[in-house]
Amino acid sequence: MWYENEGKNKETVLSTKVIINRNIKGLPFPPKMSDADRENVFGMVRQAAGTLGLNFVRTDELDDTAKADLFNQFYSGYSFLNAKDSKTGFLLSKTEGLGVIINSTDHISIVSMVPGTDIATAYKRADDLAVKFEQTMDIAYTDKFGFLTSQIKSVGTGMQILMTLALPGIEKTEGAVQVLSRRAEKYDWQLIPMTHSDGLRESGIYVLANLATLGVTEEEILEGAQKIQTDIIKLENTCRKNIWTKKKILIEDQYYRAYATLRYCRRIEVAEALTLVNWLRLGQDYVDTSDADVNWNRINKLTQRVRRNYQDAGSKITRPKDKSTVRAKMIRDIMKGGQES
Amino acid sequence: MRCSKCGAQIGNSYARVNGVLLCENCARDLKLDDMFRRTSSILDQAFPSLGELPGVFSLGSDLDFANAKIRCPRCGTSLRDIETSGELGCIECYNTFNESILKNILKRQGSSEYMGRKPGASADIKLEAEPDVSSEEKPSKAAKETLAPEASEAKPEAKKEEKDLLEKLKKADLGTVPDDTLEEGMKQAAAAEDYELAVKLRDELKSRKGDN
Repeated sequence: MWYENEGKNKETVLSTKVIINRNIKGLPFPPKMSDADRENVFGMVRQAAGTLGLNFVRTDELDDTAKADLFNQFYSGYSFLNAKDSKTGFLLSKTEGLGVIINSTDHISIVSMVPGTDIATAYKRADDLAVKFEQTMDIAYTDKFGFLTSQIKSVGTGMQILMTLALPGIEKTEGAVQVLSRRAEKYDWQLIPMTHSDGLRESGIYVLANLATLGVTEEEILEGAQKIQTDIIKLENTCRKNIWTKKKILIEDQYYRAYATLRYCRRIEVAEALTLVNWLRLGQDYVDTSDADVNWNRINKLTQRVRRNYQDAGSKITRPKDKSTVRAKMIRDIMKGGQES
Repeated sequence: MRCSKCGAQIGNSYARVNGVLLCENCARDLKLDDMFRRTSSILDQAFPSLGELPGVFSLGSDLDFANAKIRCPRCGTSLRDIETSGELGCIECYNTFNESILKNILKRQGSSEYMGRKPGASADIKLEAEPDVSSEEKPSKAAKETLAPEASEAKPEAKKEEKDLLEKLKKADLGTVPDDTLEEGMKQAAAAEDYELAVKLRDELKSRKGDN
């Protein structure tokens, strides 16, 4: 998985995702397309992608393992992968974390994901692909609005940047989330707590997304991203250090309790697991960890695997008790270092 | 602020129906007079008659109906669809609802002028590499020790040295070991709960003091 690779500032920034949306002239946007239009898009995109070394796959031809792989790697949601007769597809690159979603909200959505804060690499990979599509296809563009997208919020550059952040220090410091939200808004960014459709709130996990896509250049968006992410990491580190200085015993106690529960649990829910991983994250740089076999790679892997599990989202395992048992086994394996390669 | 119906500048007196702003004249044209009732009229008739209420509801529906009626000639998306979902149906929608879309963009993004790159031409952005802020901020070993003195005692390197000393003392002829090493060994053996060795070392030290 791409998120298991080394990344800068992974203690705070789990991943950075750049999405560039493009549409083909002469066709309605995907929500209004007929089946024939969708097939037409498939044909045109495949032809354009022929020289780019990307593998084309149709969603309706994917087996469960392939769907699980795409889901667990954050390419798309469960409902998108399992929608019937939706005529959607993917172009997958050999580079992990780089792909193209076809016929989602837009005809072409280029997705580039990297672990940590390497926004320059994520953007370059996505932009290179976008330029190649623009050179070979007739892309919807006007001088007034820029690249036309199906959603008003992304018209212009058509670019969205999403950073997934783990902020236990800021969350546990009174008023810090509000300070950070205001700071983000100043740069035209938005801080959103990660919440699932079923109401599950992921403890300490936030998404930072850009608001402006019109009236700004790509360079300005990226520079803004770098500034805000640096501010966030500094604030989070200060909060973690401050909490540790004031409540050493509490942090140490919670750290080892969390370690023990995750290491030996037999049943565990997502919310509880994420709360416990947060305690590990909070104490990892400060607590004497000689009695716990934990490192940052393991903490990040645990966070991503618990957050994103096809079996959890899917209907194969229907009983919640069984899900929590399978989840506990997966967590124990990671804590033991069994699934680490 | 401008009136959504006539486009005139809105002064102090305006009405908002279903999120749509209307100037006083347009609102009165739509028979929304009740929204502009002055104190005197309220004193004359403190409560609106029941007969007026359905009129107000139907006017709201008229506006909604108008938004639903304006449709993109190509894909059939209505202005109300766009206002509700923020999604357009096709490229032609950008021409059909030009002004409404601009308003929406201004509301969300603050600017309506495209400044990004042209199609097919890379923006050629040279970003500076992000600093590894986390490692800058990470506590150094010394800082960690000052933060958690009790924890620092158990650092792995220190533990290894302790273990080595205890192993040496176990095998050594204690008569040849200097006093300070014996004392240090005794402390470490006690801390490591190796009481057998600790007692041995204590006895050796005691016997030396007795000799003296």
